[in-house]
Amino acid sequence: MRRKLALLWLVVMLAASLYLGLRLANGLGWRTDLMALLPRDEQDAGKQRAEDAVTRALSERVVLLVGHADGQIARQAATTLASRLTNSGLASVETLVPGSEAIRRLGTLYAPYRRGLLSDADRAALMRHDGASVAGRAVSQVFGFLGVADARLLRADPFLLLPGFFTALPTPFAKLQPVDGMPMVQDGGTAWALVVGRLSADPYALTIQDRLKAALDLDGLQASTPGLQVKRLGAAFFAEAGARQALDESSFIGVASALGTVLLVLLAYRAASPLWMSLLVIAVGIIAGLATSLLVFGELHVATLLFGVSLIGVAVDYSLQYCTEIFAAADVSPQARLARVRMGIALGTTTTVIGYLTLLLAPFPGLHQIATFSAAGLVAAWLTVMLWLPTLDRSTKPRHGRGMLGWAARGLSLWQSPLRRGVGVAVALLIAGLGLSQIRMQDDVRRMQSLSAPLVADQHEIRRLIGGMGDGPFLLVRAADDEAALRLEESLAPRLAKLQQDGALADWLAPARYVPSASRQMENRTLVRAELDPMLAEHLSQLALSGEAAPVDDSIPALTLQAAITAGAPLGAMLVSPGVHVVLLDGITQPTLIAQAFTGVDGVAFVDPAGQFSALLGKYRLRAIGLLALSAVLMAPMLAWRYGGRGALRVMLPPTLAVVLAPALRALGGGDFSFFDAMALVLVLSIGVDYAIFFAETSTERAPVTMLAVALAAGTALLSFGLLAMSQVAAVHSFGSTMALGILLAFLLAPMARGGAR
Amino acid sequence: MKRRALLAFLPFLPKVALACGRLDPGQILRGRFVQTRTLQGFTRPLISEGHFVLSPGRGLIWRAEKPFAVTTLISSAGIVQLVQGNETLRLPSSRMPMLGQLYDMLGGAMAGDWHALERDFTVARSGEAQAWQVTLTPRHADNAAMPFTAINASGGCLVEAVELLKPGGDADRLRFVDQTLTSGPLDADEAAALAVLTR
Repeated sequence: MRRKLALLWLVVMLAASLYLGLRLANGLGWRTDLMALLPRDEQDAGKQRAEDAVTRALSERVVLLVGHADGQIARQAATTLASRLTNSGLASVETLVPGSEAIRRLGTLYAPYRRGLLSDADRAALMRHDGASVAGRAVSQVFGFLGVADARLLRADPFLLLPGFFTALPTPFAKLQPVDGMPMVQDGGTAWALVVGRLSADPYALTIQDRLKAALDLDGLQASTPGLQVKRLGAAFFAEAGARQALDESSFIGVASALGTVLLVLLAYRAASPLWMSLLVIAVGIIAGLATSLLVFGELHVATLLFGVSLIGVAVDYSLQYCTEIFAAADVSPQARLARVRMGIALGTTTTVIGYLTLLLAPFPGLHQIATFSAAGLVAAWLTVMLWLPTLDRSTKPRHGRGMLGWAARGLSLWQSPLRRGVGVAVALLIAGLGLSQIRMQDDVRRMQSLSAPLVADQHEIRRLIGGMGDGPFLLVRAADDEAALRLEESLAPRLAKLQQDGALADWLAPARYVPSASRQMENRTLVRAELDPMLAEHLSQLALSGEAAPVDDSIPALTLQAAITAGAPLGAMLVSPGVHVVLLDGITQPTLIAQAFTGVDGVAFVDPAGQFSALLGKYRLRAIGLLALSAVLMAPMLAWRYGGRGALRVMLPPTLAVVLAPALRALGGGDFSFFDAMALVLVLSIGVDYAIFFAETSTERAPVTMLAVALAAGTALLSFGLLAMSQVAAVHSFGSTMALGILLAFLLAPMARGGAR
Repeated sequence: MKRRALLAFLPFLPKVALACGRLDPGQILRGRFVQTRTLQGFTRPLISEGHFVLSPGRGLIWRAEKPFAVTTLISSAGIVQLVQGNETLRLPSSRMPMLGQLYDMLGGAMAGDWHALERDFTVARSGEAQAWQVTLTPRHADNAAMPFTAINASGGCLVEAVELLKPGGDADRLRFVDQTLTSGPLDADEAAALAVLTR
């Protein structure tokens, strides 16, 4: 029977390896989007979708600012980069600053609708029956330094309403001046040329990032053009830098923790077979974890690799429990040795898998992958210990066992006396109280990611040189249809103008500023009929314009958004779907003031993507603590069934103390408590329960053997999580530090669980 | 030492018209203008007059007094028009691609700096130093952004007349009188007016 099961397991693992091999041969699609690891706002799906659309559009943008003392060279280099972008097939080049041709095309489209298109100033003048000032403005422009009008234009638009409307439009990127079609800005002795591209492929796919990098070949361009500077901005660049770091770190951590584990095992057993048995267990765990994750999710996130590979280090615990039995009794068969630890590792696997599976309850897609990877890997490791190790085991009793067990026994004696236990628990609780009273919560998502410092500097420089790139907070406007959304934006305009006056923001871009609502356009036509048309004859004679004004047709329908877009109005970034618009906010200095101004306005939401992620992180930090309690509750029935009520409490005491003490000590050391610390504690609990179970399962004479096995397990876990604590990514660092500290505490306290074993 | 003493006296030297020809940076040209704008489809030319201040590299202040008081400020940053202190027009150069170059052209023509114009125009000179004519013809006839078909200028010590010919037969004819050239700074009002452009 056992043989059959072992063979069956071999077949399963061969199939998993084959599947994994095929997937690897086809090239794995690594995901690098850190935001994909973060929770989604599940309460308002429509809002989330709209925000996602805005964020996605933004993430597809690639901004390159090329600088050189010689403007000609800068422009040349920018042209080269623009054609490289286009030729790569990855991106299209966008025009942020429309050229004269585009402006003329827009003018032609808008002309028939001119009587409905009034600038705010003209509209305000007409509403206070001051048509004279509108006429005066037109006359001043005809007589002024630049004759911006000709007879044809004046006959069609005698009050120059359309030029007034156009010149009142917001001017994003006003610092940029087109030089032969290339937007440029002069800063001190450097001329900068701007290239903006939109990626047509996934900016978070590592292969796309690599292709983009190769296509642009910035290093090559800079090498061949001395003195050329290139500033970059774009999610693809940030994600690429982050992914490189994560992959570098995970390969370093992987190699270092594997080497450390090998050394530790060799030192402990002074034999080869426990080493290769442990490596077999780890390998099986990783293959099963990878294959299952790929099967379930179709792709892998780099963070899964980073967290998952170190979690798999826990799998080696079960093989260590088994292998350490060789120190115990003389010449018992492998099957008999397995029988002694079978219950312990079965309970351990179950509680740990319960701990990992509670991660599935957190609404973090990335954590789902980590949970799946780890649970699958752990179950596979357990099955391998149970089914394969006794058959493969050729160990002989080591000679140095007595010394090792002696050390272990000394370690055990620490918690021997009830008095010491009491004092230990009291001191632990005191430290916990002290630390927890000083704990500081940290939910700022911007601090959780490690953004590449040179890229952050580039971003600041680009902002300084050409202004905001529309990547900050924005207003989301949602209405039944486009017309209603445009009307809503018009009703917001006074509020925004007030905020602009107060200096809370520099300007705003709303679709309604380019295409007023149909009802506003009709209202404007009525105003023009009532206030300006009666003045027309006098106005024309003042201008000395010969001939008649063009006939007026106020019956044509209003200008529509669709028509404006077709003619090339720069509205793309502001229209999400019919009725869902974005109002871009430029030069925000006081986000809270803006947020306040729009709270409680129906259909309008102030969206601060980074701020909202931070708020959600805070919410889910609390939820993670809930998960912690939940996984403790889920483990309890099994422990109570095995050890009785008091026994279950005794088993739960050490891991619980570790869970409370670890963040307390981190706080005393000046660390913050974030969602990622909370998630680490969920795992500390399940691993700590493992250790406690191993001690609860052992007999007095076997206790030193168990102590040795748990010490080795804790040692290997510390090697992997301690290394995570060295990560540059703040989130990974927090996770690793809390894990390492928690596991150390769980190990030190675990022998307390021994006393009440049956 | 002697040199230093001389330098110390420099600010007290009377402001006199400096050498004829090209304006140097730091020099300021002030004067009155009469603008005759001929527009197709108008029964008579639009004539306006007023005074101007040109500071090469800084900008041009163009104050029409008759028939309407309109102040126009123009530099490479863009153009602002004011009627009774109210802005009636503000166009950054980014909005009108030719605007920055337009300033270079007009400022260059008024300052007699033909060199700056040679990129966009072929320059033909005739006459003598005290009575010269210059004709500028666009190099690229097909450039849609080029607002002029030709620019004619004439003058003696300073530029006295500029004729801007536009497509379709429209033309601006400018005459400059009572011109003074100084090397002093802009006065406070003038500096404040030009600062409006970059606000």
